[in-house]
Amino acid sequence: MQASLDLAARGFKVYLVEKSPSIGGRMVQLDKTFPTMDCSICIVAPKMIDCLRSPNIRLLTYSEVQEVSGTAGNFTVKILKKPRFVDEERCTGCGVCAQHCPVEVPNEFDMNLGVRKAIYIPLPQAVPLKYTIDMENCLQCGLCQRVCGAEAIDFDQQPETISLNVGAVIVATGFELFDPATRTEYGYGRFRNVLISLEFERMLSASGPIGGHIMRFSDGRIPRRIAFIQCVGSRSLKGGVSFCSSACCMYATKESILIREHEPECEVYIFYNDLKVFGKGFQDFVARAEDEWGVKYVRSLPGEVIEDHKTGDLTLWYEDTTENVTESLGADLVVLCPALIPRASNKELAGILGLELDEYGFFKSKDPQFAPVDTNVSGVLICGYCQGPKDIPESVAQASAAAARAAETLMMASEGAH
Amino acid sequence: MESVEEEIPRIGVFVCHCGINIGGVVDVPGVVEYAKSLPNVVYAEDNLYTCSSDGISRIKESIAKYNLTRVIVASCTPRTHEPLFRAACEEAGLNRYLFEMANIRDQCSWPHMHEPEKATEKAKDLVKMAVAKASLLKPLDEPEIDVAASTLVIGGGISGMTAALCLANQGFKVYIVEKEPELGGTVKKLNKLYPTLVNANEGLSKIVEAVKAHRNIEVLTSSVAKQVMGFIGNFEAVVQIGNGQNENLAVGTIIVATGANVFQPVGMYGFGEYHNVVTQLQLETLIKDSKLEKTERVVMIQCVGSREEEGRTYCSRVCCMTALKNAILIKESHPETDVCILYRDLQTYGGHYEDYRRMAQDMGVKFIKYILEKPPTVAPLQDRSLCVSVYHALLGEQIDLKTDLLVLSTPLIQHEDAKDLSRMLKVPLGPDGFFFEAHVKLRPVDFATDGIYVCGTAHSPKDTAESISQAFGVASRAAIPMATKRLRTEAITAIVNEKLCSGCGTCVKICPYSAIVKNEKGVAKVTDVLCKGCGTCGASCPEKAIIMRHFADEQIIAQALAAIGRELA
Amino acid sequence: METEPRIVAFLCNWCSYAGADLAGTSRIRYPPNVRPIRVMCSGRVDPAFVIGAFEGGADGVLVSGCHPGDCHYVSGNLKAEKRMKNTARILKLLGLGSERLRLEWVSTSEGTKFAQVVTDFTEELRKMGPSLLKAESEVDAPPDALEVISKALKKTNVQYCLECGKCSGSCPISRVNDAYSPRRTVERFLLGFGGSMLSGADLWTCLTCYTCTERCPSDVRYPEFVRACRRVASEEVMEELCAHRGIPMTLSRIMTHPNIKQERMDWVPAEAEISQKGDLLYFVGCLPYFDVVFEDLTLDLLKIPQSVVRILNRARIKPVVMASEKCCGHDVLWTGDVKNFEKLAKINVGEIEETGASRVVTACPECYRTLKKDYPEVLGKIDFEVLHISELLSELIEKQELKYDAKLLMKIVYQDSCRLGRHMGVYQPPRKVIADIPGVELVEMGRNRENSVCCGVNAWLSCNKYSKAVQIDRLKEAKATGADLLVTACPKCQIHWKCVTSEKLPVNPEEVTMPMRDLSVLVAEAMHLT
Repeated sequence: MQASLDLAARGFKVYLVEKSPSIGGRMVQLDKTFPTMDCSICIVAPKMIDCLRSPNIRLLTYSEVQEVSGTAGNFTVKILKKPRFVDEERCTGCGVCAQHCPVEVPNEFDMNLGVRKAIYIPLPQAVPLKYTIDMENCLQCGLCQRVCGAEAIDFDQQPETISLNVGAVIVATGFELFDPATRTEYGYGRFRNVLISLEFERMLSASGPIGGHIMRFSDGRIPRRIAFIQCVGSRSLKGGVSFCSSACCMYATKESILIREHEPECEVYIFYNDLKVFGKGFQDFVARAEDEWGVKYVRSLPGEVIEDHKTGDLTLWYEDTTENVTESLGADLVVLCPALIPRASNKELAGILGLELDEYGFFKSKDPQFAPVDTNVSGVLICGYCQGPKDIPESVAQASAAAARAAETLMMASEGAH
Repeated sequence: MESVEEEIPRIGVFVCHCGINIGGVVDVPGVVEYAKSLPNVVYAEDNLYTCSSDGISRIKESIAKYNLTRVIVASCTPRTHEPLFRAACEEAGLNRYLFEMANIRDQCSWPHMHEPEKATEKAKDLVKMAVAKASLLKPLDEPEIDVAASTLVIGGGISGMTAALCLANQGFKVYIVEKEPELGGTVKKLNKLYPTLVNANEGLSKIVEAVKAHRNIEVLTSSVAKQVMGFIGNFEAVVQIGNGQNENLAVGTIIVATGANVFQPVGMYGFGEYHNVVTQLQLETLIKDSKLEKTERVVMIQCVGSREEEGRTYCSRVCCMTALKNAILIKESHPETDVCILYRDLQTYGGHYEDYRRMAQDMGVKFIKYILEKPPTVAPLQDRSLCVSVYHALLGEQIDLKTDLLVLSTPLIQHEDAKDLSRMLKVPLGPDGFFFEAHVKLRPVDFATDGIYVCGTAHSPKDTAESISQAFGVASRAAIPMATKRLRTEAITAIVNEKLCSGCGTCVKICPYSAIVKNEKGVAKVTDVLCKGCGTCGASCPEKAIIMRHFADEQIIAQALAAIGRELA
Repeated sequence: METEPRIVAFLCNWCSYAGADLAGTSRIRYPPNVRPIRVMCSGRVDPAFVIGAFEGGADGVLVSGCHPGDCHYVSGNLKAEKRMKNTARILKLLGLGSERLRLEWVSTSEGTKFAQVVTDFTEELRKMGPSLLKAESEVDAPPDALEVISKALKKTNVQYCLECGKCSGSCPISRVNDAYSPRRTVERFLLGFGGSMLSGADLWTCLTCYTCTERCPSDVRYPEFVRACRRVASEEVMEELCAHRGIPMTLSRIMTHPNIKQERMDWVPAEAEISQKGDLLYFVGCLPYFDVVFEDLTLDLLKIPQSVVRILNRARIKPVVMASEKCCGHDVLWTGDVKNFEKLAKINVGEIEETGASRVVTACPECYRTLKKDYPEVLGKIDFEVLHISELLSELIEKQELKYDAKLLMKIVYQDSCRLGRHMGVYQPPRKVIADIPGVELVEMGRNRENSVCCGVNAWLSCNKYSKAVQIDRLKEAKATGADLLVTACPKCQIHWKCVTSEKLPVNPEEVTMPMRDLSVLVAEAMHLT
């Protein structure tokens, strides 16, 4: 979005392709952001609206890049616009259809903690505010069609192939989460009260499945002690990825502060290895968490988590490395901070664009030192997490960097054309 | 366009059903009827979807047909739809600021969907409030200003040069002002850059050559900016060249890339006292000049003068990787040397810095964790070597290390003269001394003051690769106003009634955008292009001399009174 | 080389030693081949002394005490009788000949008897010829400790340690013994303090159970590191910490002698069909010896190989069983004796290849790992496939070449032993084999598969209150599943658990005692083969 807005403000035309039904990415899934504790959706929604309103940006949501050919200054990009089965021109986003839809499925935006209908918008502030039918789960009962005042439902909608001619391409595909179920010692997927961070974030979000309350899903009780385990799958030579995901120490601190705000009686422990406080304001944030909010940091990665099947209560076994004692800690809820990894789909996209991936699956910079957003393909730029682990401010700055390089490419191309 | 201020306003109200979102809860026809009864309302109708192309047409037609001079839409939130309806008004020939919205969906029918009667009552009140304000609205202009397509880059280090090249390549004129006699900044002093271990000067000299050769870049070395006046698009900078003449530069944007200094830990761990205690930068120079003597052991202490309880509380980001890099270089040339790094938390973040740590471990570099509460101590030994005694926090044991070379990893700190620059540009320094950006998350390289940007270690400690990345970013941001060459400024701004102003200066101090100054008459003057219309000045003025356009005192009071059922006298 | 037999004699102070003195004072002559060692009571004589004497090259061992009923210490001599009976059985198994051990009662006044005993024994031994275990002359130089350590640091990834503590948080011993922390041990090695670690107990405390390895983010293979260091660590310390006087390792070392000809086939049931050459070989392991050494535990260990052979026969397989099978060398390897391990590996592989077997199956997870993983590492490739019995059974049941014909209505809980589980990744086949038995409900402990907990002892080392705490905790967990039977595929697990539950427990026996069975024995039962 940032790259698009920068270029659009310059007067360049931008096509913003997003494979899900709405732009917004990960930021809209967060409750608050560190270290400012801004409401995430509140600060990012205006950017989303700007993308929508900008006359120079055309949003192609629910779309994917299929084919790319040509060279810098003159790429031909084929885009598949997946059928929403809703006419975007007519849909006003009123939501009557969803009210009547009889099908409920787990809501992937809420990390499957809540439900959505087969006709849905991923979030209430979706941009564009157009509904989409998940045809895999749709019964084709036609109820939505009958109640839609704008006559926007179109079950016969076909996928559309759009061919674009562009001068530059920017890749900003972000990340996905490592599945910590493979770390069986932590019981994710088996123990009801072991969650991963993004699930917890959705729980905390006011617009999430339980409206921002903190509770255990096993029995609805408010937890009295929550433990975070860092580095699950990060910095690992086996059973994970070997790099540091760089944002987890900080977002765990953020979530901990939120817990202490919501539930002052609830104790919070963060089990960590090396506390990554390298960014602007990070160390102060951690100091606040410790001194003002009483978040307890334990320098240890626990050996295992054990569940009492009857109560769902958990026990962590760990060696407190600064106290040199192996002991256990009971917890009502355990939150795992999994590695943030490049998307598996990057491989396919790399093939389409002719890009190189590094050994971890990140898109490779042409020169990690002097040309961080350029790639081996002239005219194709990369930015954000898909280039390497980073937080929001770095992603935003790098997005502008990609925009700058794209602008250079476009200007050189038009000069060449003369 | 006739003046609509003097006439009695003719208000048109459009109440939206929004499908059943509003209509299913609120009695929309009832609200329409009620609207018709309000003062100054000459026309009211309801629409199924006011925002639809159909609804927009109805608004435009009604403006023409009923000679409407104010338009109110009672529907959803202005945050998403205000621009749409304003545009519609403008297209129909009505000034866009003569439009007001009543939010009867997001803040009415939705939250109160179980109490339709109360929701309808509230909707009526909201419309009444909108009418009260609309009656007092005045048309506003959005002035356009010229933007000079040139940038002043303060600082000729790697960040400044990268930004300069990127902008110059896009056709903008760039002035680089560098206080040293040579370009290059801190990178000039470095040996090799991690993680690629490329020679710092190799990469740097290529960039310096490109900068010097570029026809769009003018380099002023041994030069310092003395004064900066003006606003975005129209800055005037006075630059002192050498000790001699001053040169005046007119630029559209300014980029702060002044870099940072390395903290000298005088008095800490024997620095300045014993000859064999150095900083990482000094070690870097020793290695570069091949002056590093073979020693039995080198000890490095991290976080010296950073991550403190008070003062320099921040983490300087680059020290762990610098220590690893230098440790690896020492091990490469002297494998028998024992290298020990005393750290608190190893900052090996990002995609490849962990690989670096493993490389160091491969070479036998030792890592000893210490904690803030129990820092290492240094004592001299008879043979002029040092004994570094550290409490290994994870083993729970005190370890003594005899060493001939103690290297202290110290933080990057802000330049002494940054305060001057901060005052000169009216841009703030943060609690850690570095320049403070507009918004930590979403506007990391912009200053709150329009047209001025920051990148590199002037913003916060970072390494060369990160500085370059941020410099490209800043080039994009600076290019935006310069590319269009004209900037439409905000219409919702403050204006000072000079007659009432007592010159107290409260507003000047309080403005977060430094948009108010005292003019030659000693009264406050708002620089329109810098004003963002937040209203803080208006609320603080003791003389009520400041009028907030579109959110004037009487407009807001009218809304409030309407809300509680009383009218404005 | 001497041709005269050398006899080591253990004589009790009150009777036999005095008797020998009397022979002297009475000037009664007897051959000078005997070397007496005075002990207070014949009950003092540990079988390890006897076996050790033979390992050292003694041709005969004489143990002599007071006549039964006359023991100065009430009944020490009766204990000696029982022990020596068992020791004789071991000597027989080893093929050394139980006649080389003599137990005699000689009283204070029986100087003549003493002389007669020695004379007879010496003559017999002359006829028997020298012991097959004459001491070897070659002594290798010990490897450079620092070099071994530094190589191991790299090979096992110890150098990449993040000091996160996950290992110590997972280690079952760390949990009960605060002084033990794999992490701290690693840190000491990384800081260069490894030398002092070699003379400490830490290196021998590791259970080598691989729990830490399974979970370590830096892929540090700590047990392998420990194993490498054990090669250059203090043997004295090890001997102190080794239970049962290290007898099992002594037996293994004895088996490296080229002349050894064991007599270890008595367990084979009369009706069983085995062969000397064939396609499938059953590697029995040390069960015939454990059957004697751990007789008091009443585990009936020989039922295991008997069950295996019967089951294989039922599947119409005539397994090769080698009379010359040597100890696989697992404990020898894991206590750092690389030289003897390599010897055993060479011998065993040579013998297996001679039988022509292309597949080797074993019912012991330690033999399984050693044959499948460690032999190829030390010898290069091996030409036969190695299977655990559960894998073979699973295969045979799948192909319907074996069928269960009994119904066992019971709840069974299965213990994943370290070697079969985490070391070799075999989790499913034993479960399938058990679950397929009609009537059986397989239940799981909370900590199962890769999270299973070790039975508490490895290579007989560091058997102490900490290992017992671990064992009791695990048995409680097994009992708490409500299972009727605890099944394991590892005879060592059974031995260690039976041992701890036979002792005076610090807990209510109800909480920890439950019937145990070996997997193969269970399967045999379910096929009416016992």
